[in-house]
Amino acid sequence: MAKKKSKDTESTEEKEKKDDKIDLDFVDDFVEDDFIDLEEELDLLDTEDLDKELELEEKLIDKDEAQKQLYLSCGIHIGTKLLSGDARRFIYRQTNYGLYVIDLTQTDKRLKIVAKFLSKYVEEGSDRIIVSSVRRYGKEPVKKFCEVLGCRAIVNRFIPGSLTNPIIDTYVKDASVVVIIDPHADKVILREAQLARIPVVSLFDTDDTLVGIDLAVPANNRGKKALGLVFWILARQIMLELGKISSEDEFPYTLEEFTSKIIPVYRQEQTPPQQRQQRQQRQRR
Amino acid sequence: MSLKKNTCFCCGRAIAPYEAAVHFPCPQCGDVTIWRCERCRAMGKTYRCLKCDFEGP
Ligand SMILES: [Zn+2]
Ligand SMILES: [Zn+2]
Repeated sequence: MAKKKSKDTESTEEKEKKDDKIDLDFVDDFVEDDFIDLEEELDLLDTEDLDKELELEEKLIDKDEAQKQLYLSCGIHIGTKLLSGDARRFIYRQTNYGLYVIDLTQTDKRLKIVAKFLSKYVEEGSDRIIVSSVRRYGKEPVKKFCEVLGCRAIVNRFIPGSLTNPIIDTYVKDASVVVIIDPHADKVILREAQLARIPVVSLFDTDDTLVGIDLAVPANNRGKKALGLVFWILARQIMLELGKISSEDEFPYTLEEFTSKIIPVYRQEQTPPQQRQQRQQRQRR
Repeated sequence: MSLKKNTCFCCGRAIAPYEAAVHFPCPQCGDVTIWRCERCRAMGKTYRCLKCDFEGP
């Protein structure tokens, strides 16, 4: 596109120059030399190096645009209709329907910071990082994330005392960081991490509070695709920080492996409207 | 005899040993160790790194 544009501009400029020349030929002969020089300069400017630079810039812009489109397509920026005071600094705007939209630049920045933070604790086969999810859509991303990086996943019921009571069997001895998905749903592990003096990293929607959290990532924590994307990007960035892969394209896992395969209930039971009306009538009787 | 006292990065108070305080390296630069006292953690107050001006949580 840029090449065509540059050619078009060139042709128009040349035409203008020619028009000017014709006018000025009558006036003075000395001015002609200046114009020739200018044309030569223009020719010098349009070398292959400039095209290469333009192509590189285009590639960078395309990459940014692709990243943005990926974020937008997964709905990572969509918040809720509620807004807490703590979430006010992560907000971009409010839609006409009353939904609050999360600032994508802050999400991107925070994801990179969290990846850097977690990469200090990653050890293969140890319990130093604990990732917990009570939400159903978060279970498969968490399992896959822990399989890739070799940390401990808690996707079933969290047994109380696992971080504070050394007598029970499920006690985790060397926990260093706790990662949770929702401060409302994972409140037991949040409270125990607070008592056991362990730093907590959490995803942060617009209706959550920062109580007990040490590092928050503003993102949508209800959507199936959004949760998959967050853990996919985190795993990729941590691998990059650790030096296991040299570029983002070498990451061997796809986004579909990280997203949950559960079909929501409202899509399973799509009944025709007649049956629905009959059911409602039966309930009224 | 001298005791090394750690101060909270949110409120500036000295941290008592019995408190459920937390410490971790700065997420952005990793050089500064950040301390948060029990009260500031329970209220979710903001902390700031001394070196790189990172604001959290
Ligand atoms: Zn404090
Ligand atoms: Zn710092």
